[in-house]
Amino acid sequence: MNARIVVRLVRKDCWLMRWPLTAYILAALAGLALTVTGVPVARSAGITLACNVLIGVSFHVMLGPVLGERDRKTLAFLMSLPVTPGQAAAAKLASAFTLFLIPATIAATALVWLSPIDIPAAMAASHRPLWSHLLGTLGYYAVVLGAWMLFFSIVLGAAIVSESVGWTIAALTGLLFVFGNFVLQVLPRMRGVGRYLRALGRGQAALPLTIACEAAGIAAVVTIILWLQRRKTSFV
Amino acid sequence: MGDCAIQIRGVSKRYSHFALRGIDLDVPSGTVLGLIGPNGAGKSTLLRILMGLVRADAGHVTILDHEMPAHEQWIKARVGFVSEDMALYGPATLAWHMQLVRDLHQGWDEKRASTLLDRLHLDPGQRVRGLSRGQQVKALLLLAMARHADVLILDEPSAGLDPLIRHEILTLLAASRHERRALIFSSHYGDDVAALADDVAFVYDGRLIAHAPASDLLARGKSLEQVFLEQVAALRGGRAA
Repeated sequence: MNARIVVRLVRKDCWLMRWPLTAYILAALAGLALTVTGVPVARSAGITLACNVLIGVSFHVMLGPVLGERDRKTLAFLMSLPVTPGQAAAAKLASAFTLFLIPATIAATALVWLSPIDIPAAMAASHRPLWSHLLGTLGYYAVVLGAWMLFFSIVLGAAIVSESVGWTIAALTGLLFVFGNFVLQVLPRMRGVGRYLRALGRGQAALPLTIACEAAGIAAVVTIILWLQRRKTSFV
Repeated sequence: MGDCAIQIRGVSKRYSHFALRGIDLDVPSGTVLGLIGPNGAGKSTLLRILMGLVRADAGHVTILDHEMPAHEQWIKARVGFVSEDMALYGPATLAWHMQLVRDLHQGWDEKRASTLLDRLHLDPGQRVRGLSRGQQVKALLLLAMARHADVLILDEPSAGLDPLIRHEILTLLAASRHERRALIFSSHYGDDVAALADDVAFVYDGRLIAHAPASDLLARGKSLEQVFLEQVAALRGGRAA
């Protein structure tokens, strides 16, 4: 794998997406600013904006650099250059994650601030050392960002493997509204899961276990994508 | 093998609606091969297999003594490809595309690119979105030719272009034929093929139905289109019998 070529292709995608990326970063920053004010209405607007950034940037990345290359016939031009399908697939994954992660990290910060726990007040009331507070916040942050990244990687997998806008949207909306609602509405009512979530809230072993599961899930999806890419027989 | 720029042996590709069947073809160094055939005959599939854009189900492709797709990157660094089914990035300028190719390609020649810009009347600062189809084809040719490709593969580059731009492109290709080892191109226009090609191959229904020097085919006093139609009629007659 020639890293120089992969990096150049990632730079290409980032440049082509620079204006939407700027807009999503600004929207995510606005969402974060509204969330940290603490005013209920502003917090509500902030979380709406942050969620819209996460969903919007997912759609934009899928329909732009991922599926758009083939539809706009630029993939044939790209693949006519000294680029192998493996390098093109690796670059596409890297650029998709980069384009998602920049605004998503800011939006996830807004989500962390929206925790029902008043984090600064809880920190002040607790007798734990500062590093413990920082570690806990980072852990919570990793869980939120990891969940969104896992969600994004599954939709990315659907886009790259199916090469179909319809299946990509089906995967995205299915995850958001069917699986997402199941996770939010049904799972917490189940006895074992409720206990697990409480342990997660207290930062017990459930926290690193959840982060590890999310990381393993993302790695598995990426591995499956690359494996399926190797089996493809058409690259235009 | 050494004086054969492209060698195709038993190449097949099956789709649900169409199959390319056992194509054998040689393109000797220093020659131009023209492919003639109707839409859906398999010309584009064959050229895509040569470029590694589509993997063949069976057979072997050797370009400049290297097997495709085993040496895909090596081959792509020495082969320029332009297709009517290919586009540049709309929001970017031609200069941006030149930089992209330069970064990915060690053989990029700045002086050659500058000469081609002048010759093809292209403005490097113009966004691709604002270019006509003819200008886009010229831009694609510039990007393929400014990297001193040993082999040029063109899939219907003149399709849908006005006569002026078609002539401009054919003149450029004819004038630059000494710069490369081989050119293979497909076209609907028999006149374009007759003007450029040393050898002509007729592709019909996924098969190679004829392959001969252009001078032999034209010696019958008929146009390449007429010769092609006769070949197809003979094939259909043979099948019916």
